[in-house]
Amino acid sequence: MLEIKNLHAKIGDKEILKGIDLTIGPGEVHAVMGPNGAGKSTLAAVLTGKPGYEVTEGSILFQGQDLLAMTPEERAWAGLFLSFQYPIEIPGVTITAFMKAAVNAKRKAHGLPEFKAGDFLKLMKEKMALVQMKPEFAKREVNVGFSGGEKKRNEIFQMALLEPELAILDETDSGLDVDALKIVADGVNTLRSPERSAIIITHYHKLLEYVQPDVVHVLKDGRLVKTGGRELIDAIEAKGFDQF
Amino acid sequence: MGHGKYIAPPVGQYQVAAGETLNLQFVVLPGESRDIDVSIDLIGPGAEAHIKALYLCGADEKVNFHIIMHHRAPGCHSTQTIKGIAGGTAQVQFHGVIVVAPDAQQTEAYQENHNIVLTDQARVETRPQLEIYADDVKCSHGATVGQLNADELFYMRSRGIPEAEAKTLQMLSFLTPVIPEGREEEIESAVRSL
Repeated sequence: MLEIKNLHAKIGDKEILKGIDLTIGPGEVHAVMGPNGAGKSTLAAVLTGKPGYEVTEGSILFQGQDLLAMTPEERAWAGLFLSFQYPIEIPGVTITAFMKAAVNAKRKAHGLPEFKAGDFLKLMKEKMALVQMKPEFAKREVNVGFSGGEKKRNEIFQMALLEPELAILDETDSGLDVDALKIVADGVNTLRSPERSAIIITHYHKLLEYVQPDVVHVLKDGRLVKTGGRELIDAIEAKGFDQF
Repeated sequence: MGHGKYIAPPVGQYQVAAGETLNLQFVVLPGESRDIDVSIDLIGPGAEAHIKALYLCGADEKVNFHIIMHHRAPGCHSTQTIKGIAGGTAQVQFHGVIVVAPDAQQTEAYQENHNIVLTDQARVETRPQLEIYADDVKCSHGATVGQLNADELFYMRSRGIPEAEAKTLQMLSFLTPVIPEGREEEIESAVRSL
């Protein structure tokens, strides 16, 4: 599914990722945990092709394709999805218009016909219900005036609609109360399948109580310094990141 | 007028009498240069004037707005919303003056001029100006010259919306307040041509 080899990346002159090796198989959920400034969000940015990040060494294969040679939209069509840590507001564009453009662009890239308006709205309604978004949100401008929890739910709704092969959840649990956290976790769990994989980026164990990862990595100072199972979450909970 | 790309009542001088309302709408689409020189006098109590303008320039066009809104009587209300996008080597100037005469108490006057510049070579100059000689007035003006929002573009692209389409969506949402009813498709294809 995903094969990252010796990935080095920098912003400006500052090297943030200093040699990441990470392989994720189909159906696997990996947690990447680490303190602030470890490079967690940079990893997510590089995977999704955010401008401003320079990969200086290494390679990323996604479903056998050279991910680094692809534009952000091509990565989305290939099945990559990032749940943003800080979802962006798009004034003047409704959620319906936004997601219709996104879903149809992906369908077009796969040689499928565009959705009929009615079919799309029905599908949207179904996915909104999954994350308990009220139907009136369909007409709201993307993230404009949303609370922190509403923004995160909107991310998971978009994920549910796009049905990615690999979802990256960047600090999706930050700023969520327990109820919102459960809704988000349910949304993620609903999508789990033997084909779909996920990377859960967090510095916090809470979401991982509801979404069970198969593998846990500790990211520190731009490197994965430890890889293990659930026991790592408990160790971090007990003693923090300084032990690594 | 012109090649059918430009809509507007004639430029020049307008007087609005007590209780009357003047609505002006200007649209300048790519392919032509225009001077829009309008002076409006609100001469009777309660007169209103509303201006909406949209411009899109793609090549080497020059578009100049020169708008004077003169509140001469009490209780008048004016709004101006001028928005546009400059690409290529276009040159755009906006000079908008609101004058509120000493007798024009209870005036409400608002002016907004917002511009997006698509290239390093395009130039937009905006000069909003307020001259207020009365004390009981509500006036505001705002002017911005910016670029397309990179964070919004990346967010849309990360969802699979192609870059060109993401830019179009952003430009159309920016222009929405000044797109005349019934001309949405024409404006959309003009935006795509930039």
